[in-house]
Amino acid sequence: MADPASDFIRDYQTLAQQSWDAWARQFQQQPAVNPFAPPAAPAVGNDTLERTLAGLKGYFDWMQAAAAGGAAQQPASDWRQQLQQMFGGASQPFAQAFGGIDSAGAEGFVRQWQSWLQTVRHSGFGDLPGAHGPTPAFGLNREQQMQQQAMATALLESMQATTRYQELIQRTNAQGMQRLQEKLAQHAEPGRQIDSLKGLYDLWVDASEEAYAEIALSDEFREVYGEMVNTQMRVRQLQQRQTEQLCQQMGVPTRSEVSSLGERLQALRREFRASRAGASAGHADEIMALRRELAALKRQLADGQAAAPAARKTASAKSAAVPKKAPAKAARKLNAAPGTSPRKRK
Amino acid sequence: MQTPLRIDPAKVLADIATFQRKLAAGMGYLRDMREPEYANTPRELVYSEDKLKVWHFTGHGKATAKVPLLIVYALVNTVWMTDLQADRSMVRNLLEQGEDVYLIDWGYPDGADRWLTLDDYINGYLDRCVDVVRERHDLDAINLLGICQGGAFSLCYTALHPDKVKNLVTMVTPVDFHTSDNMLSHWCRSMDVDLFVDTMGNIPAGLMNYVYLTLKPLRLNQQKYIGMVDILDNPAELENFLRMERWIFDSPDQAGEAFRQFIKDFYQGNKLVKGTLEIGGRPVDLGMITQPVLNIFAEQDHLVPPDASRALGKHVGTTDYTQLAFKGGHIGIYVSGRAQREVPPAIHQWLRQRA
Repeated sequence: MADPASDFIRDYQTLAQQSWDAWARQFQQQPAVNPFAPPAAPAVGNDTLERTLAGLKGYFDWMQAAAAGGAAQQPASDWRQQLQQMFGGASQPFAQAFGGIDSAGAEGFVRQWQSWLQTVRHSGFGDLPGAHGPTPAFGLNREQQMQQQAMATALLESMQATTRYQELIQRTNAQGMQRLQEKLAQHAEPGRQIDSLKGLYDLWVDASEEAYAEIALSDEFREVYGEMVNTQMRVRQLQQRQTEQLCQQMGVPTRSEVSSLGERLQALRREFRASRAGASAGHADEIMALRRELAALKRQLADGQAAAPAARKTASAKSAAVPKKAPAKAARKLNAAPGTSPRKRK
Repeated sequence: MQTPLRIDPAKVLADIATFQRKLAAGMGYLRDMREPEYANTPRELVYSEDKLKVWHFTGHGKATAKVPLLIVYALVNTVWMTDLQADRSMVRNLLEQGEDVYLIDWGYPDGADRWLTLDDYINGYLDRCVDVVRERHDLDAINLLGICQGGAFSLCYTALHPDKVKNLVTMVTPVDFHTSDNMLSHWCRSMDVDLFVDTMGNIPAGLMNYVYLTLKPLRLNQQKYIGMVDILDNPAELENFLRMERWIFDSPDQAGEAFRQFIKDFYQGNKLVKGTLEIGGRPVDLGMITQPVLNIFAEQDHLVPPDASRALGKHVGTTDYTQLAFKGGHIGIYVSGRAQREVPPAIHQWLRQRA
């Protein structure tokens, strides 16, 4: 016999799902109007959009599942079991809540290697030269064999490091659940009970972030994180090396060459600025020396001018006192008087 | 024992219905919404070099401050956080207080900037920007306001060029990079930075953003957008949200060499507080900073923990050191309502007392 309540929820879920799908399609198909992803958005920007939509979808699915499942049963016979149904198990939407963050990051690091990696996987990764450790290489293609081995080793190490990282992230999920139960236990008294899915979700986020922070600040995480980044860089570096060799064969300038030019150019710019600053400093020194000289001359002149009237005064006083000592000077003065110069007279 | 969960079935269905309704409404709003603009407080370009620009804010009235204030932002993200929107603009509030405000927009580095070092940034670009402002005002020294990494740059600059800085303000500035709660520093301690930069060249902004998101993965990747659904039917709030999203993700790549040096010397080596840092071959001694220093930090900062900033007080040489703790986060210190009321007036008052 049909249960009207169940039918209602099922119909509602179908409708809601259709509505959600329409919303998601709207933004996935029209990136030009998507505020999260500008038209020329880089790949990582698209990751953000995908993560955003995935996050909303995860929350939406979880609400629906909670509505159809145990969340609305009142009173809950065993709230821990109820919690387990809502947040535990592989089917719940947040199972990969943290697990997803590394995949996005790893994708960012080695995105361009994915197709290559898939090809390798299809052909059997274990058959790659070097996958089981380095082996001697010989002959004309020795270098290529060595590079292939190095690449296989690097990929293997990178995958191992990523696996270790994922294990730590999964530990976060488990510890987050534990913390959520502890937090909920503090909400048992009437008046403090959680009465909405959003309230429960927010508490779960608090608990999970606390668990994550504790693990992320551990020495183990630091070591694993560093190893993951370093091994991914090693893969990328080897990939670049192979690409550059291919470019060289085709006569295409490589990034290393362009980068070397950039380095030299920057060094030249620095040198130029330093020499210009040095020259400016040299000029400044010269100008300062000239200024000092000029100032000294001005002082001398000023001293001379100050001394001259005094000297004249002294001379006048002296001449008044001793007139007999200045007849020649007086005669010169007379000759130099306006209108009395010999030239004028001429 | 009582159950801590008391979830009403009717409320659950109502919540789902509300979520659906808001999503549906948001579809329309988002489709019609244009890229939100920043505040764009009136400004004039006074200097440019390579990709860098120095802007002078003209404001509506004449500045009363005699000494101009040059904002030195981080290389990470853009400086427009300080002028985000009309009612959330630190720049605008500083102008209203009477400050004469300049800022450096570092621009978006590309391959040509791959080899820029910290020496190029601090003793080169920054020094020339300071000189431009000094010459415009015919002053020997101006006021600096360093933000985050720009604060660390300002500290280095002041220690290396003390005659050119009158007062120094630092905001959310990391000084001690090895505090126990510094997650970024913790993570990059085991990284082979040489391998990283040699491989990546410039560090892509997307990668930087990804790392920042993983500091609080659930809050920043999921909870924030679930919160966004609540405001999807409110165009004004949605616009504010999207403007912030624009600022967060519209960020520049990092010049490879400068990044290498910053991670090695600051994050890994913690040389700023150890006194072993050298920029351009010259030692950087925080003890040489004898100018008045105002150090502002955010108490809930997850990028630059408060202790990382507080450490400055123990290392600067000045006897005029002021510390201001703001109740908020790394971004809230510029854009929250509380920040608008508290931070610019505090900076202005402090500067005025030391004019």
